[in-house]
Amino acid sequence: MGLDATGSRGKVKDVRWPAALNQVPKDIFVREDVYRTELEKIFYGPQWHGIAHEAELPNPGDFKTFQLGEIPLLINRDESGQVNVFHNACTHRGTQLEMADRGNRLKFQCPYHRWTFDSSGRLTFCPGKGEGYSPGFSYDKYPLARLRVSIFKGLIFVTMGEGTPPLETYLGETAQVLAGLMGGDGRLKLIGYHKTRLECNWKTYQDVDSYHAPLLHKAFAMFNWAGGREGVQYIVKPWGHIASTSILTLPEDGGRSLLKDPSLLEFRGEDPRNGSRVVKLFPMFGAVKHLDVINLRFTNPIGWDATELHYAYFAHQDDDEEMLRHRIRQSSNLIGPSGCISLEDAAVYHRQHIGSHTPGCIEFQKGVQSTSDFDYSFSQKDEASNLVKWDYYRSVMGFEREA
Amino acid sequence: MTNVTNVKNVTNEQDVLSRIEQLQNRYIRALDDRNMRAWLDTFTLGAEAAYICTNRESVEGNLPVAMMLDDSRARLEDRVTFITKVWDGSFQDYRMRHFVQRLEHAEEGRLWRVRSNFRVVCTPIGRNQRVESVVGVYEDLVDCSGESAVFVSRKAIVDDSVFPRYLVYPI
Repeated sequence: MGLDATGSRGKVKDVRWPAALNQVPKDIFVREDVYRTELEKIFYGPQWHGIAHEAELPNPGDFKTFQLGEIPLLINRDESGQVNVFHNACTHRGTQLEMADRGNRLKFQCPYHRWTFDSSGRLTFCPGKGEGYSPGFSYDKYPLARLRVSIFKGLIFVTMGEGTPPLETYLGETAQVLAGLMGGDGRLKLIGYHKTRLECNWKTYQDVDSYHAPLLHKAFAMFNWAGGREGVQYIVKPWGHIASTSILTLPEDGGRSLLKDPSLLEFRGEDPRNGSRVVKLFPMFGAVKHLDVINLRFTNPIGWDATELHYAYFAHQDDDEEMLRHRIRQSSNLIGPSGCISLEDAAVYHRQHIGSHTPGCIEFQKGVQSTSDFDYSFSQKDEASNLVKWDYYRSVMGFEREA
Repeated sequence: MTNVTNVKNVTNEQDVLSRIEQLQNRYIRALDDRNMRAWLDTFTLGAEAAYICTNRESVEGNLPVAMMLDDSRARLEDRVTFITKVWDGSFQDYRMRHFVQRLEHAEEGRLWRVRSNFRVVCTPIGRNQRVESVVGVYEDLVDCSGESAVFVSRKAIVDDSVFPRYLVYPI
């Protein structure tokens, strides 16, 4: 019996989804039963999830651990150079296999009964070589369980759904923005992380991180900085993925009126027309290029009321020493949970979460031209562009709009 | 003669330790009072002044991006500007209490290299927020030659790879 949002177990039947397209009920952000259903229908369903970039695993044996929903993952580059994504659990009694965040190993040994797997996931050793085990036991029946993987310019996606469309279809028009964001070819070099926990439901993070109200960031006003002039925006249906490019503008005085070291706001890249790029995929993955910061955001819910966010930062393999140094300094202080132009985000996530316990709906206004159909175009600074995603979420979850 | 030298060295070292202690306390008072000007005054006026807040995973993995990477006096001053001007009024404020325990000190040229443990307890001001601790190690280079000791550099290395909250203030 599958878990059906509207049917068999009936757990989330009582979510009332309003008829107006620009309203989203608040209780979906604070209900554990909704979260359990999201795990089944979204995180373990027919979606692609960006979980790592190959630049995090440059050498054979490199691995990192992550989570998809509540499922622990082991992502590695094996001895032959191939990228694999395994369940991070021994195939014998299910013990978590690797505990480290990152590392390099060509074999993984379970501490419980010493079952040992090579870097391609094959079982290579059991004590007594399987003597006294069940009839028909053989090593080749117990490799590490794998997820379906698809890689775009080094960016590693996984899915647990049966009928997930090909990644190319799923990405749609976001692909070109994503490629541009990763230097065109995805030949990146990892320079570090900001990892933090947000005290909010994963959808709160997702929604705030998509539509980036410049009102929130006083820095833009203080630096007399438009941020980015309007460029191109794509919304990929039905998922509501958003990709945008902006023509980069810099503060009029380069930030000198406020900063002693204005290199924080310097753009040394070659093409200011594409200086700013944002990609936000359903359900969680996000990527941002702002000035010379290349940032991939790997995110996962930690229960219904917390979200773990790993900002991974990259240089390009062709960068000279000076550009590499610039990217390191700019990535550290510009964005992230203590970043000059993004600290406020983290503060808003939590306040949104607290406010979601009040009854009623969150409202979308800016750019909403109709509350009954989506037959209009969205401007880049319209919060209405989030509504395509919300309608997709509603349909995946099986919530019917009220008449 | 030997005795005299030893006595002099001991006195010097006690003097150095006392200056380091006073510097640590000035640093703690500055941040616990959220007085960013006083925080800035615990660093040398030289351009080489540096404050870095990172974590163990980044240090061990040779990953240079830090939570805060203020590698010059100018960036330290900009950090103060972020907190007192750019972010003013847009974050939920929190109080800090720093608990610091010095573990090692060694002379390095004309400077002193000092290592201490820290625990910083962050208590949000207002409702519905959790008290969080940030725990780790300070690695410092201290100049004790002037009237009061100052940091040439302070590196705060947090143990956990996932920060429990957003950090407005340095650790």
